[in-house]
Amino acid sequence: MKRSVCAIAAALAITLAAGATAGCSPSKPEAKSGGTYTSVDAFHAIDPQAPINPYAGKGNAFQGYNAMPLGFRKNHLTDHNQHYPAIAESWQVSSDGAEVTIKIQPKAKWSDGTPVTSEDIRTSAAVAFTQGGSIFAIAPGSAGALGEVTTVDEKTIKFTQAPGARNNTFLFSILAMWVLPKSVYGPQLPADFWDKVKTGAGATDAAKAARDEITALGKKLITFGPPKDVSAGPFVLDSVSASEAILVKNQHFFAADKIGPDKVRLRNYTGNEQIWNYLTAGELDGAPFTATPPNVVEQIMKVPGAGKITGLSQVSAALMFNQKYAPFEKVEVRQALAYLIDRTEVQKVGAPDSGKPAEHTSGLIEDAGKAWIGDAEVGKLNPYNPDKAKAEALLTQAGLTRKDGKWMLASGQPFTFKLQVPNGFSDWVAAGKNIASQLSNAGIAVEATTSADYAVYQKEMAEGKYAAGFWLVALGPSTYNAYARLYGGANGWSAFGGKLSHKPAGEGGNWIGGAETANVAGLGVVNPGELTYQLSQLPVDQAKESIIKLAKYTNDQVPGIQMWNYVNVQFINTTRYENFPPTNCECLRLPHGVWMQLGYIQPKK
Amino acid sequence: MKSFLWRLAGHLTRGLAMIWAVTTFTFFLIRLMPGDPVQVQFEKLIAQGMSPDQAEAATAITYGFVPHGPVWRQYLDYVTGLAQLDLGVSVESQGIPVADRVFGAMPWTVLLVLSGILVSFLIGVGLGVVAALRRGSLTGHSLSIAGSLLHGVPPFVIGIVLAALFTRRWRWFPSGGQYNGDKVAPGFYADFMLDVAYHMVLPAAAFALASYGGWLLAMRSSVASVLGDDFLLAAELRGLTRWMRFRYLARNAILPLFTVLAISFGLVFGGAIFIERIFNYPGLGMMLYASIGARDFSMMSGSFLIITAAVIVANILADLLYTVIDPRVRRQT
Repeated sequence: MKRSVCAIAAALAITLAAGATAGCSPSKPEAKSGGTYTSVDAFHAIDPQAPINPYAGKGNAFQGYNAMPLGFRKNHLTDHNQHYPAIAESWQVSSDGAEVTIKIQPKAKWSDGTPVTSEDIRTSAAVAFTQGGSIFAIAPGSAGALGEVTTVDEKTIKFTQAPGARNNTFLFSILAMWVLPKSVYGPQLPADFWDKVKTGAGATDAAKAARDEITALGKKLITFGPPKDVSAGPFVLDSVSASEAILVKNQHFFAADKIGPDKVRLRNYTGNEQIWNYLTAGELDGAPFTATPPNVVEQIMKVPGAGKITGLSQVSAALMFNQKYAPFEKVEVRQALAYLIDRTEVQKVGAPDSGKPAEHTSGLIEDAGKAWIGDAEVGKLNPYNPDKAKAEALLTQAGLTRKDGKWMLASGQPFTFKLQVPNGFSDWVAAGKNIASQLSNAGIAVEATTSADYAVYQKEMAEGKYAAGFWLVALGPSTYNAYARLYGGANGWSAFGGKLSHKPAGEGGNWIGGAETANVAGLGVVNPGELTYQLSQLPVDQAKESIIKLAKYTNDQVPGIQMWNYVNVQFINTTRYENFPPTNCECLRLPHGVWMQLGYIQPKK
Repeated sequence: MKSFLWRLAGHLTRGLAMIWAVTTFTFFLIRLMPGDPVQVQFEKLIAQGMSPDQAEAATAITYGFVPHGPVWRQYLDYVTGLAQLDLGVSVESQGIPVADRVFGAMPWTVLLVLSGILVSFLIGVGLGVVAALRRGSLTGHSLSIAGSLLHGVPPFVIGIVLAALFTRRWRWFPSGGQYNGDKVAPGFYADFMLDVAYHMVLPAAAFALASYGGWLLAMRSSVASVLGDDFLLAAELRGLTRWMRFRYLARNAILPLFTVLAISFGLVFGGAIFIERIFNYPGLGMMLYASIGARDFSMMSGSFLIITAAVIVANILADLLYTVIDPRVRRQT
């Protein structure tokens, strides 16, 4: 009796579970000679309830596989406008950067066999406007936004910037736009959509009403999902469960002959540990970048066929100071700490496989710094090599005294602080403990403390609750992005409607609390927020002078200490596939679906 | 019959009041948590290699799905929605109804935890009887000690050990998922069900191993106490067979465990957060864990509501079931 109850219960549960899974079909066709490539989509976890829509937070449209932009941005050191062609075969930019003409791949077709046309791109731009952000923001005074979209012919389309300030993000924002089929998304848009966009750019009540309508449409569109995937990418979604998404090769893809695998299996993940588990179990052919602890790297590399490709990562991990907390408002103290911390040791402990010690604190990663301002200028920056004597001199100069081996503030209190790191970030946690140990040995009692999770960390950091903590900086290749991290909202500067303003420390998200201007030897008085804002508008070839000033300012004022520059480490397994991209390929940061479009990843012969 | 209906009505009223109280409590508790879902998403995308512009564009629309306005207003909206069986929309999955996500994940958790509970219950009860009947022997002692030891080991520790041994050391079982979508499509056929069972072996075993000790110890103690009762002596004097006496013993000894079992069924919906996470088994537990990390308030509230309702319903059913299986309780009512 009991056995039959169990059997009924189990059968019932399996029935429920099977019923809850999308896409019921009795059998699966076997992958042909190309096999099934198994990987993970780095950008979001898989949600079977999510629509097949690239704008949805967890949409079942995977970049480079069944979701295609016009171009894929290369990981170029200095030029953020370098792209691999995607749906756009080529593009031309006017001399003032305000006009971009796109030529669509002549053979580009949707998975239903119909050609990709300019009208599809125009519809895609309309949908991008409903989602806002970047050049698709509709607001009075949103200088540099997209103004007009003109269809030149069936395969050519022109984008024109709205009048106003030049916007350096114009080209790459156009190229990053998702390409959507008009046959699917067109009916979701009102006939007078473009009129609403024009009206919305004004400052009247009617403009506000138009903007509200577009925002409401954006919320509706993000939940919209076609019943069937219509893709212009190399793959089409076949099925999706909470564990994985299965995509099959799109025979209509314009470069289908380059695509090796017949299927792609993208496995679900919600944390790095799951990717490591898949890798150590030998279940992935390739994995996206994760900062991996050395013991896990060791386990992964023991798997037969395991290998790794390394390349440039335009991100740096920095120890940042909140200058509201004494004595961090004194530049000498920040400089002294830079001399006291041995960054090579910190990197060895924190990120031995996925980092290189930062040679200079400049606001840029080392290679980008050299490429932008040249070896000679970089050579002039202070490397802050470990030097106790210099540190002691600086601390004394800042009014601190040494008593019984401990550094004391001018108030007579011991110089101590808490170094905050978020739980779960194994590299930051290890590095934080090492820095605390180094500084404690030098007479500054530092305690590395962890926040419950990253959400708490971010919130409390923005609220100015931490004296010091880790922070990602030097986000390239756009130097504006890199310096906005140091001299943007987190340090009090914000730009709206073409005007820059600065909020005092502790207000409006200003948790770094640096001075609005500072006098730097050889530069004079510098306002780093202003220089950073200029970078968003200056043509790339005219930006060098500003970058030199910002690098020197950052190196002198030390708002934070760059500890290591990340190295993009991608684990692969060559048991089933070969011809992975080479080390330092500019494509490394892009999804593996893009690697396939470039002819990489072929079944092993 | 009338008294049964009164009893049922009382249970339902108390149950609804309890659900309302817990829902209200969790609603406010969740909103006291620090963290901003939009910022979490933005930073996560940057850390994964997306440029700040792309990350900003990707998170821009999330603002629209974050519950906003004064907390009392949010609470009123939430309760009004609940009255219409609307649990709201997910912030992390931008606009997907919470109910769709919860009910999509629920069957997998039910399947996993139910299997784990039933296996551990059957093994635990069976071994508990043996341990009680042979309580002076080496077998009895060994069973009791093994049960006590495993009862004290947290399920996630057993999960980590099983995963390390059987997915990484020997690779006999997959490291995650509910089934291999590359090989089988969902349906009512043997290959699919076998693949589901294959993927479930380790997480269910972790759950069963971690909880069977509790059943064993409870059953051992219950059998030991019933063994001294007069009715068993009377049965022996009446000349009843050994098998008949064993049935008398088992039926009386298992009564207290039924209540616990029924309540355990309620906890099925709460899932096994750590076990699901260790084995990357995408059920309710893992979804709840992810929604806490992403500060997806709506998902958290929805998940807690379902878990609370399930426990309360299981309690009511346990109480009603007790009147059916224990005549003494029936007579008292």
